[in-house]
Amino acid sequence: MEKNMKKYFPVFVLPTFVAFTVVFLIPFVLGIYLSFTEFTTVESATWVGLENYIKAFTQDENFKNALWFTIKFTFVSVITINVISFFLALLLTKALKGTNFFRTVFFMPNLIGGIVLGYIWNLLINSILGVFGFDITYDADFGFWGLVFLLNWQLIGYMMVIYIAGLQNIPKELNEAAMIDGASPFSVLKNITVPMVMPAVTICLFLTLTNSFKLFDQNLALTGGAPARETSMLALDIYNTFYGRIGWQGVGQAKAVVFFLIVAIIAFVQLKITGRKEVEQ
Amino acid sequence: MASIELKNIRKTYEDGVTVIDNMNLEIKDKEFIILVGPSGCGKSTTLRMIAGLEEISGGELYIGDKLVNNVSPKDRDIAMVFQSYALYPHMSVYKNMAFGLKNRKVPKEEIDKKVKAAANMLDIEEYLHRKPRALSGGQRQRVALGRAMVREPAVFLLDEPLSNLDAKLRTEMRSRISMLHKELETTFVYVTHDQTEAMTMGDRIVVMKDGVIQQFDTPQMLYNHPKNMFVAGFIGSPQMNFIECLIQKKSENYYADFTYYSIKIPNKMNDYLKMYENKNVILGIRPEDLSIADKNDKENVMELYVDIAEMTGADYYLYGKINNEKFIANVSSNQNIESDKKYKLKIDVDRIHIFDKINERLICD
Amino acid sequence: MMKSKISHWISFAFLLFLSLVFIFPIYLVVINSFKSKFNIIGEPFSFPDEDTFVGFENYIYGIESADIVGSFFRTLIITVGSVVAIVVLTSMTAWYITRVKSKFNKWIYYLFLFSMIVPFQMVMYTMTSISVKLGLNSVLGIIPVYLGFGSGLSVFMFSGFVKGLPSEIEEAAMIDGCGPIKTFFYVVFPMLKPTAITVAILNAMWIWNDFLLPYLLLGSNNKTLSVAIQLTMQGAYGAIDWGGFMAMLVLAVIPIIIFYLFCQKYIIKGVVDGAVKG
Repeated sequence: MEKNMKKYFPVFVLPTFVAFTVVFLIPFVLGIYLSFTEFTTVESATWVGLENYIKAFTQDENFKNALWFTIKFTFVSVITINVISFFLALLLTKALKGTNFFRTVFFMPNLIGGIVLGYIWNLLINSILGVFGFDITYDADFGFWGLVFLLNWQLIGYMMVIYIAGLQNIPKELNEAAMIDGASPFSVLKNITVPMVMPAVTICLFLTLTNSFKLFDQNLALTGGAPARETSMLALDIYNTFYGRIGWQGVGQAKAVVFFLIVAIIAFVQLKITGRKEVEQ
Repeated sequence: MASIELKNIRKTYEDGVTVIDNMNLEIKDKEFIILVGPSGCGKSTTLRMIAGLEEISGGELYIGDKLVNNVSPKDRDIAMVFQSYALYPHMSVYKNMAFGLKNRKVPKEEIDKKVKAAANMLDIEEYLHRKPRALSGGQRQRVALGRAMVREPAVFLLDEPLSNLDAKLRTEMRSRISMLHKELETTFVYVTHDQTEAMTMGDRIVVMKDGVIQQFDTPQMLYNHPKNMFVAGFIGSPQMNFIECLIQKKSENYYADFTYYSIKIPNKMNDYLKMYENKNVILGIRPEDLSIADKNDKENVMELYVDIAEMTGADYYLYGKINNEKFIANVSSNQNIESDKKYKLKIDVDRIHIFDKINERLICD
Repeated sequence: MMKSKISHWISFAFLLFLSLVFIFPIYLVVINSFKSKFNIIGEPFSFPDEDTFVGFENYIYGIESADIVGSFFRTLIITVGSVVAIVVLTSMTAWYITRVKSKFNKWIYYLFLFSMIVPFQMVMYTMTSISVKLGLNSVLGIIPVYLGFGSGLSVFMFSGFVKGLPSEIEEAAMIDGCGPIKTFFYVVFPMLKPTAITVAILNAMWIWNDFLLPYLLLGSNNKTLSVAIQLTMQGAYGAIDWGGFMAMLVLAVIPIIIFYLFCQKYIIKGVVDGAVKG
């Protein structure tokens, strides 16, 4: 059969692979090359070695600021989103009334696009702060917590349905066996439930980590980086470097490479660590 | 309707492992051929090469008089029944059966006629509009057969078609497939690891081991005259007993000696044993060639300490040990036989087989 | 017994409260979309009353001023076109590279996997220049771009499913007279349907809401919904018509919510399957 199929490569693989090569592979390789050059268009690149990387870390306060802001933001969001969504999943798997309704409501924000989400929360936060005579651009802390609330609102439902699926996969007999063995509800949670949902935890941590770290649309719409770029996250900072500072495209590309490396390392390390804790079934 | 011929067929996988080397086989038109052997012996690979699902690395394969090495499966005029049935899950039973004909642009009315005829023959008419997942294993099996039947192929290939069924259904389907072969009058090539299936269904049987044909013969010949210890052990249930013994010549007769016993070998075998005088050989005795000895029997009698005696109704299976090797006797159950007792057994010496100890080939039987 | 009943009610009340918190932001946008633009900034929480209620005035303004209807259909064309292209083409690719086992195909597979962890900013600039040069900066031209970006996850998910399919069914099809193309479309693709739904939902959610890619490639000439909303805000420099803007947000959200309420089962299942396999 394989022999019959081989000559069909152009039909089955080529369309996808050409698109993939043109919009991803070539731009990726070219992007790495351009990060070592100074350029205003792709054709006008001149080799400058590591200069862009040095510039990004020494002459650009915004970048370090954005990096630190992103790390803080990711840390807080990952913890809050996962704790709350796991807790909600536990409640909703307890066969309460209205489970379906609650699930529908909690999941809904996830479908709304980042830009629209950003402006919805912009209105809400400014309305609340307006009571005290502030708005969201008054202090970077407002922007920070605004983004945390926004992302929680968006992702809690998403993570919750994954946790619910994980919880429903635990065989009932396991809980019953533990109860016959005399385990308290807390001990069941700690010794049975949590280890058994580790695969779901791995997935949710991975998704929240990468989603928080790569956040762009919501950041742009909610604060746009204000005040004074203090609430710019990495993705927005890179975007601003590319399209906001003439002559700095090379630095923007170098930042993008650093950004990629950080995301790749986080993804790799996180999957290694939590992957080890999963229970083989 | 076609003969099949394999000439020096070889199969080497991409990683360089050769699973079949220099295989020759001639299957006559309308024959029911069984490929049998333990798993990994290359029987399925052989079938898949005939089907065209597996590339042939060397040699020539003919279906009819046509060289088909480079002919794709759909143009070989074959049909195949798979172990897992391989029914199209999203199509109804009717569509499953009609699919091959539709691809060959057979007119609709003709398809309908053929599908209904096949369904009638296999008793699946009432399921024609169900999806495969709503059927039992046995019903799916019949649909798979039906799908192959409607195509009226020159060659019918079956790859372990019964191994996913339970014991009772398997027996039923065995006779059904044999009947089918009679009615369709086409060449059947059937792969199985089950010697009972092979013995009950095949006109001729190919016994394979490690990619090599051990013997290609009728069931009677395989049973009565196995060419080597592998075939002798594989065909027949329970398995043939093998006892190592010493050939000795006393006066004009040859004797096979083991433990305290000396078995007198029939004179018809004398010629073959000259070279083996005072040498060790393997004596093969089928369980069913043993019987409980009379008091008068003096010659060719041995004693067996019966660890377990199993009564199956008509027969007893007696399990014991000779020379520390498992030994089984299958005797009729006229008397009461108990476990943990000694019994005298008479050997039907006319039916013994003697094998070379080194190359395991048959010396005489 | 009493105790567990009480804790049940506490949980229920808590969840109900939380639901209200979850709905509140949307509620706020909706009520303000019916108020006159002068009454939004000052008193955002008040329900529209005789003085502030303006009916559908904001909606009419929003639709007329920001080309919302055009953006809606543009987004619809791009989303549907891209999702169809992705589902059909990446399932073909996944089947081929899973079934034809060669070193080259394995490499292709790993490249697709790799693309999943690369952030968009890494290729943003170079991809934009190449796409513009190739003339992909149009409503239909952006479809192959989405195919390229969507192929990583989609090929990965389809491959996972194909690996679990017995190849015997495909062999049966080949014996039944199908070539590879017929085998794929008559036999393999129908079996891939559950995964195809998941892939379609995940990609549709992403493409419908995407902002940066259509902003860079299509800009203000061919606005999608997200781009239209961002540009309205960006171009206004504070002198924004809040009423019209609220109406635009509602218009952008309503189709998604309607779609969600109808296909909720598939969407949630799709998201869970996508996460578990991705």
